Amino acid sequence: MNQQLTSAPVLSHPMPQFGSFALLLALMLSVYTLLAGSIALWQMAYGRRGRISPEKLAETARRAGIASFIAVASAAFALVWASFTNDYSVAYILHHTNRDLNPAYKFSALWSGQEGSLLLWAFLLSVYGFVLRLKHKVDVRLSAYASTILSSVQVFFLLILVFAAPPFALWQGAPQPDGFGLNPLLQYPEMVIHPPMLYFGYVGFAVPFAFALGALMMRYPGEKWIAITRRWTMIAWLFLTCGICLGMHWAYAVLGWGGYWGWDPVENASFLPWLTGTAFLHSVMMQEKRGMMKSWNVWLIFITFLLTILGTDLTRSGLVSSVHAFAQSSIGSWFTTFMVIVFAVCLFTYFLQRDHLKSENKLESVVSREASFLFNNLVLLAACFTILWGTLFPVLSEYVQGSKVTMGAPYFNRVAVPVGLFLLFLTGVGPLLAWRSTSLRSIRRNMILPCIAVVFTAVVLIAFGVRPWKDDEAAGGIYALLAFSIGAGVITAISSEFLRGAGVVRTQTRKNLLSSGILLVRRNTRRYGGYLVHFGIVVLFAGLAGSAFKQEKELEMGFGDSIELSGYKLVCQSFTQDSNKNYDTDYALLDVYKGTKKITQLAPEKRFYNASQTSSTMVAIHSTLARDLYVVFEGRNPETNRPIIRVIINPLVSWIWIGVGIVVLGTFIALAPSIRPALTGSLTPKSEERELQPVAGGAA
Amino acid sequence: MGILAGVVLLLILFAYTFWPDENPFVQRAKTRVDYLDERRDVIYENLRDLNFEYRAGKYPEEDYVTQRTSLEDEAAHVLAEIDTLRPLKR
Amino acid sequence: MTRRRTYQLVVLFFAALLAMGAADAAGRFSSIGHKLVCTCGCTQILVECNHVGCPDSPKLIAELRGKIASGDGDTSIFNWFAAKYGPTVLATPMRGGFDNVAWIVPVSLFLLATLGTVYIVHRWNRRSQPAIAGVPSSTAQAPSDDLRDRIRRDTEY
Repeated sequence: MNQQLTSAPVLSHPMPQFGSFALLLALMLSVYTLLAGSIALWQMAYGRRGRISPEKLAETARRAGIASFIAVASAAFALVWASFTNDYSVAYILHHTNRDLNPAYKFSALWSGQEGSLLLWAFLLSVYGFVLRLKHKVDVRLSAYASTILSSVQVFFLLILVFAAPPFALWQGAPQPDGFGLNPLLQYPEMVIHPPMLYFGYVGFAVPFAFALGALMMRYPGEKWIAITRRWTMIAWLFLTCGICLGMHWAYAVLGWGGYWGWDPVENASFLPWLTGTAFLHSVMMQEKRGMMKSWNVWLIFITFLLTILGTDLTRSGLVSSVHAFAQSSIGSWFTTFMVIVFAVCLFTYFLQRDHLKSENKLESVVSREASFLFNNLVLLAACFTILWGTLFPVLSEYVQGSKVTMGAPYFNRVAVPVGLFLLFLTGVGPLLAWRSTSLRSIRRNMILPCIAVVFTAVVLIAFGVRPWKDDEAAGGIYALLAFSIGAGVITAISSEFLRGAGVVRTQTRKNLLSSGILLVRRNTRRYGGYLVHFGIVVLFAGLAGSAFKQEKELEMGFGDSIELSGYKLVCQSFTQDSNKNYDTDYALLDVYKGTKKITQLAPEKRFYNASQTSSTMVAIHSTLARDLYVVFEGRNPETNRPIIRVIINPLVSWIWIGVGIVVLGTFIALAPSIRPALTGSLTPKSEERELQPVAGGAA
Repeated sequence: MGILAGVVLLLILFAYTFWPDENPFVQRAKTRVDYLDERRDVIYENLRDLNFEYRAGKYPEEDYVTQRTSLEDEAAHVLAEIDTLRPLKR
Repeated sequence: MTRRRTYQLVVLFFAALLAMGAADAAGRFSSIGHKLVCTCGCTQILVECNHVGCPDSPKLIAELRGKIASGDGDTSIFNWFAAKYGPTVLATPMRGGFDNVAWIVPVSLFLLATLGTVYIVHRWNRRSQPAIAGVPSSTAQAPSDDLRDRIRRDTEY
């Protein structure tokens, strides 16, 4: 097919021409930002001056960065425009859209294929860069470093877009009246927001990475850079969390196998930077508050960024096989090269500046918030390594023993579930520990209630019939029992923390408990937002644990046939076919009864898309807080022509999405600025200190 | 047509980049006092947290006193240095 | 009477044995079936893969039932499948040899990291003991009451 493509625009196609030109322009501007920025920073660091002052040069570099955002945005606009105007002279548009496609999906065509998703990546990076460069006054010099580093990442993506995967390549075959259509699996509302969310998360980690590397390069005095990057990191983390969870929901609602997480390499690739990013968000607090773990944090964010690139590399290079269909291409070697360069730069900078990263404090007690963060980091990184290992082991095995092996869900579940439970335990224990050191007496006092909650929940669950030792799938049962019990303990711990805090504010302000609680949160949004995130994680885990009680049945159903499962009765009312311009559909209408009462009607479908000549399932789901009734139209029995219906009862699945909602809310609270308790004293006013000597290093 | 639009974009972006009317890139180098101010803020924040956690019942009295003394000493050290470095402005 | 009772007991015993055997076979089918994956490319667990028209899973499931009925041991069943369909039919690496590395490496690394963390915590803890026992080394002398009051005023919660 490559022979049929060319990146050279032809005069009769204005939009692809404009798009290609804009990408080239963006590349030039980004290269300028990188070069001019590097020269200016080098001159400033060593006190050299050229014909143009380094300050002026740095300012042009910053502006070129902003201008490159406009150029990349123009290119993205050109591609979307081509999609909406059915410009099938563009090979990418021909391959990923068709005339009768829903407009929302025409828009999402921007990230439905390799070239487009790389353009989206470059665009999102330029958005982050744009905001960073606009808000540069927060710390002009540090921002200049970060901007320059970010522009080097941007140069890499633009190089790929201009030379290796041009999105505006023209179709050289015979003119086509209609496009080949969008992959039907992607024709689902969440697919319009899931990839941009995930990419926003991936790309977002480039910003704290750039700040961390910049701060290390310039030997930034103090830890203020962490405060500057905190919001960036949290926003990237939030987007990544939302992106992963939307992906889970999409897999659940579209793929039709009744689950939401299959440990596919692409899922794993998105989960890895989430794990290290989460570790970073926690351990960086130790640096900010106590000046500890500096080297560790720097490496955590380096690794997080590298993992975002590795994730892309894994899926594009065809190194590991995945159900996520991305064309295997030479792009992989670009990413590998880039990763090696980034790693080398990080390593070099670290060795050059490592004396700048000496800890100012030491751990004072094994029983402290710091120690709990240390263990949380240990577990998160162990999980990250195990998942990475499991993802890459087939490649290693092929290399060593000549045959690929499968690393299926059982492998990951066996390792990840206990690790997850331990993390769940830490989400409750961490908040109970004080900074620096916690006396055993206060631990005992604070732990009593959560421990009672754990035992009480376990006893109640056993009494209500959760008896893992009697079940066939005993392991799942035991883990579910543990998850619920630990979860109850964690919620008790977090609530008691919150209530005690509110109590302090209440005695101070004499307001009622609710107002005191609100004031408490506003005074320390980060802590209590964080606690809410922990609470959301517990709810999410409860939803995950529900999968241990999954039930399913499959039946061929004629008119009036019924299927019963877990108190539901589904009666087949009809099965029929329908069609519109985009697809033909085959579906069954099922009345759902609970007892004798009809509660709803479900219509699971199987669609056949005309343009792409492929089919996909549309699962029908009846959701309640207690369980999801999940109905799949499997197909028709070729002999009887009757539909085969698969019914799955998925307990507690709704709580996964509710948990995610709570996590998002908690993160928003943590992002909000805190208010200070009213001070009785006064801080010394700032005055002019121009005559003072600059400081070189933090601990000077 | 496409190229024309591209050239217009190029001219605008180049004009924006190389025609900076003002130069906001001025930042005095961070002084020791700035650094100490940040340190003080962090130690103050830690002290506030300590006071809060004590009131919330996380520290027994003796631990609290030790921790507070140590943090206050640290803060005092920083404040004293700030006071000697910063010209008093009354 | 006694003979009849004995006869009944023997029948009951064999019936029970048969029932146990049946339950055992079903259990084995599920447990082995969960350790194999469908080879059609859907990467699903064999006994959970039942998408209509799957070219592979019905055949594999039938073969598995046959193997269990013929009384083969778990290992020999896995070996048979791995020999016929290649090692990717096993849901996890379990053939011994290099396959063990898949399990050993993460576990040993986790243990090493835990030991490392405990060691670091221990070392830090030991080093910081003198620091918190007395006045921090950074302060040469105790601050004046005036300064301490100022700090307390500024940091009240």
